[in-house]
Amino acid sequence: MHHQRAYPQRSQKSRARRLPEQAWLARGRRRFPLLFSRIGPVTLTICSVLLISLMAVLYLYQQGQAMTTNQQIQALRNQQASLRRQNADLVNQIATEQSPAYIAAYAIKMGLKAANGHNVQVTNSSQAQNNGDQNNQP
Amino acid sequence: MNIALRRARNRQMVIFLLVSAGMLVLLGRLYYWQILQAYSGYALAQQANQEHTQDIPVDASRGLIYDSQGHILATNVVRDDVYVEPHQFSVDRAANPQIDLDSLIRSIHQALPQVSVSTLQADFKLEAGAVRIAVRIDPAQSQALRNMRLRDVFLYARTWRIYPAGTLAAQIMGYVMQSDTANSGMYGLEGQYNKLLAGIPGQSLTENDLQGNPLTVGVDHQQAPVDGADLTLTIDSNVEYMVEQELAKQVRQMQAQSGAVVVLNAKTGAVVAMAGYPTYDPNHYGQASSALGCLHTEQAYFNPALYCAYEPGSTMKAVTMAAALDQGLITPDSTLQDHGCISYNDAPAVCNWQSRVYNTETMTQVLIHSANVGASYVAHDILGVDRYYPYLVRFGFGQSTGVSDGPEASGFYRQPCNHGWSPCSQKWTMSDLTRQAFGQGIVATPLQMAQAYQAIANGGVMMQPYLVSAIDQNGHTIRTQPVVKQRVISQHAAQMLTQMLTQSAYSAQSALVPGYSVAVKTGTATTQYISDTQTEASVAGFLPASNPQFVILVKIDRPQQSIYGSTAAAPLWGTIAQQLMWDYAIPPDMGQ
Repeated sequence: MHHQRAYPQRSQKSRARRLPEQAWLARGRRRFPLLFSRIGPVTLTICSVLLISLMAVLYLYQQGQAMTTNQQIQALRNQQASLRRQNADLVNQIATEQSPAYIAAYAIKMGLKAANGHNVQVTNSSQAQNNGDQNNQP
Repeated sequence: MNIALRRARNRQMVIFLLVSAGMLVLLGRLYYWQILQAYSGYALAQQANQEHTQDIPVDASRGLIYDSQGHILATNVVRDDVYVEPHQFSVDRAANPQIDLDSLIRSIHQALPQVSVSTLQADFKLEAGAVRIAVRIDPAQSQALRNMRLRDVFLYARTWRIYPAGTLAAQIMGYVMQSDTANSGMYGLEGQYNKLLAGIPGQSLTENDLQGNPLTVGVDHQQAPVDGADLTLTIDSNVEYMVEQELAKQVRQMQAQSGAVVVLNAKTGAVVAMAGYPTYDPNHYGQASSALGCLHTEQAYFNPALYCAYEPGSTMKAVTMAAALDQGLITPDSTLQDHGCISYNDAPAVCNWQSRVYNTETMTQVLIHSANVGASYVAHDILGVDRYYPYLVRFGFGQSTGVSDGPEASGFYRQPCNHGWSPCSQKWTMSDLTRQAFGQGIVATPLQMAQAYQAIANGGVMMQPYLVSAIDQNGHTIRTQPVVKQRVISQHAAQMLTQMLTQSAYSAQSALVPGYSVAVKTGTATTQYISDTQTEASVAGFLPASNPQFVILVKIDRPQQSIYGSTAAAPLWGTIAQQLMWDYAIPPDMGQ
C-alpha cells in the first residue's frame, strides 16, 4: 500500500545543515505558527511590556480593592463593636429598670405605698360565693 | 595591541574587580543576615513579624445570670480606660512642648473632670510608654474623648461585670474580681461556676497597616471565643427583694447582729429566696471588705444560709418528734408528765425555759409549749441512741446539702462511737442526746434546717435543694429536674407532725397568716458560756399546711429588743409567708 506524504520530503542536505536548536524552533513554529512566526521581536517586546503593565495595573487595582474592602470591614467591625456595646448598655438599662429595687423606688416616687398585710382581708372563693348568694336573696 | 587599548582593558579589569569585590561584600552580608542570623532563633524574622502582625486575645463574653422569671441578675458592659503616652508626646511635640502639654491637659481635664490637672501633669512627667489616667469612664466621656481626637491619648475598652439589681441576691451570686489581666469569679455562683461562666477566650493573629488596623490580606488566623454559659436560677427576684428588705428591717428593728432567711419550694426543693444581712453590693465589692456577717464571724461575702451554722434550738424538736412518730413510738396524743425538769441517771437534768411546769402534756403540747423536758424525754426514754441518730442522718444533719455542688458548711453533732457510725466522737455522752433533742449540742446551717422542714412538708420525702434551674451553653440547655434525695419519714408520720406543728403555730401568733393554715415551730437557742439573753431566734415552718407550697426559715442572730423566736423572728416569718401567698396567688385553705 502506498502512503502519500502531506508535505514534500526535504533533502538529506538541508536536514544535515539544520542545528539541533533550529530543529526545536522548527517544531515550535509548527505548533504555534501564529505566535512566533508572525510577531517580530520588537512587537513581542512591546506586547510583553504592555501585558506586564496590564498585569501590574490589575494587581494594583486588586490591592486597592482589597484595601478599600479592608477599610470597609474595619469600619463594619468598629460599628459592630459599637452596636454590641450599645446593646450591652441597653440590656443593663432594661435589667436595672426591671429590678425590684428600681420599681419600688419609682413606686414610692409616684406616691404609692406598700400594702399593709394586717389590713388585708382574705376570703376564699366558696365564702365569697356564699356571701354573694346571700346578698342576692330577696 | 596599542597602549590605549591596553589601558582601556586595565580599566575594565579594575572596574570588574571592584564590582566583584562589592558583590562579594554584599554576598557576605547576605550570608550573615540570611544564614547566620536566621539560624540564631529566627530573632530577626520574629522582630520583623512583630512590627506588622498583632496577636490579640479575644475575650469571651461572660455568661449572664437570670432569675426564675428571666430577669437579669448579672450582665456585662463595655467601658473604656483612658491612657496617655508621655514618651510619644515628648517625641511628637519636641518643638513647643510646654504650650502643647498645657493645651492637651486642659482638653483631657475638660472631658474627664474627675482627673485633676496636677495629676495629669505628674503623669506626663513620668516619661513612660503609656500611663492609665482613668478607669471605667462613662460612655458620654468616652464619646467626648473620641470626638476630640487627641493625639497621644487612647482608649482601651474593657468588659465589666454589672449587677443591675445592686445588692439583690449578692450573697448567692458572689462577684467577679476584675484586674488588668484576668477576671475571676469569687464566692457564690460566680466563684463556683467561674469556669463555665467565663467561657474560652479566642485569638486573633492579623497583619496590620500603619494605623494598626488589621489587614484582610496576609497572615490572618482567627480563633473565635466560646462565650460563657448563661445560668438561670430558681430565685424569684421579687420574693428575694421582699425577703431582703424585710430581713434588713427586722434585724435593725431587733438591734440584732445579723440574720438569714431561706425560702424553699416545698414540692421541688428549689430555692425561691435566700437572704442574709448584712450583705454587700457586688458592683462595689471592695467597699464591703471589712463588713462582717454571721455573728461577726465571717465576711459579708459568705452566704449565711450556707455557712452560718448555729444551734437550731427548739426548731429541732420537730425532728425529734418525727423520728418517734415514724417508728410508731408515739402519737400526737401520747402523754408525759412534765414537772419543769427531768433527771437522768446517765445525763444531767434537763429543764424547760424558766423551769416551767406543764404537768400532763401531750406530744402536740410539747411542741406548743416548746418543752425541753418533753423533747428530751422522747429522745432519751422513748427513742434511745439506736433509734435517734439514724434520723439525724436521714434529715441531712452533719452533711452538706449539695445545693449547688459548691462549698458549704456541713454542720456538726456528736454521736457515739460504739455503733459503727461515722463520724463519731469519743467525747459523746448521754447529755449530747438529751440536749440534741431540743436543738443544743448540734450545729446546722439555715439551709439544713429548711431542708429538714421541707421533708416534713413534702409528706416525708426530702428533695435535693437546688439553686440553678438551667445552664445554657451556647444553645445547648441543661435543665435541672427536681431530685428526690430520700424518704425520711412515712407520709402518715409527716401528716401527724404537720398537724402538731399547725397547733404549735398558735404559740407564735405573729407567724399566722390570715386565711392560711401554717405549720411552724419557733426556736430560741442560747449558747453555752454566754448570757442567756444572747440568743439566736428562729422560726421554721411551711404553708399552707393542708397543701404545703413554701418552706420558710428565719433566723435572727442576737436580737436585743426581744430575744425569743416567737417575737423576734416570727413577725418576719409571717410577713414573708403572707407576701408569698399573695405573689403566687395561693388560694386560702381556711376561713379567717
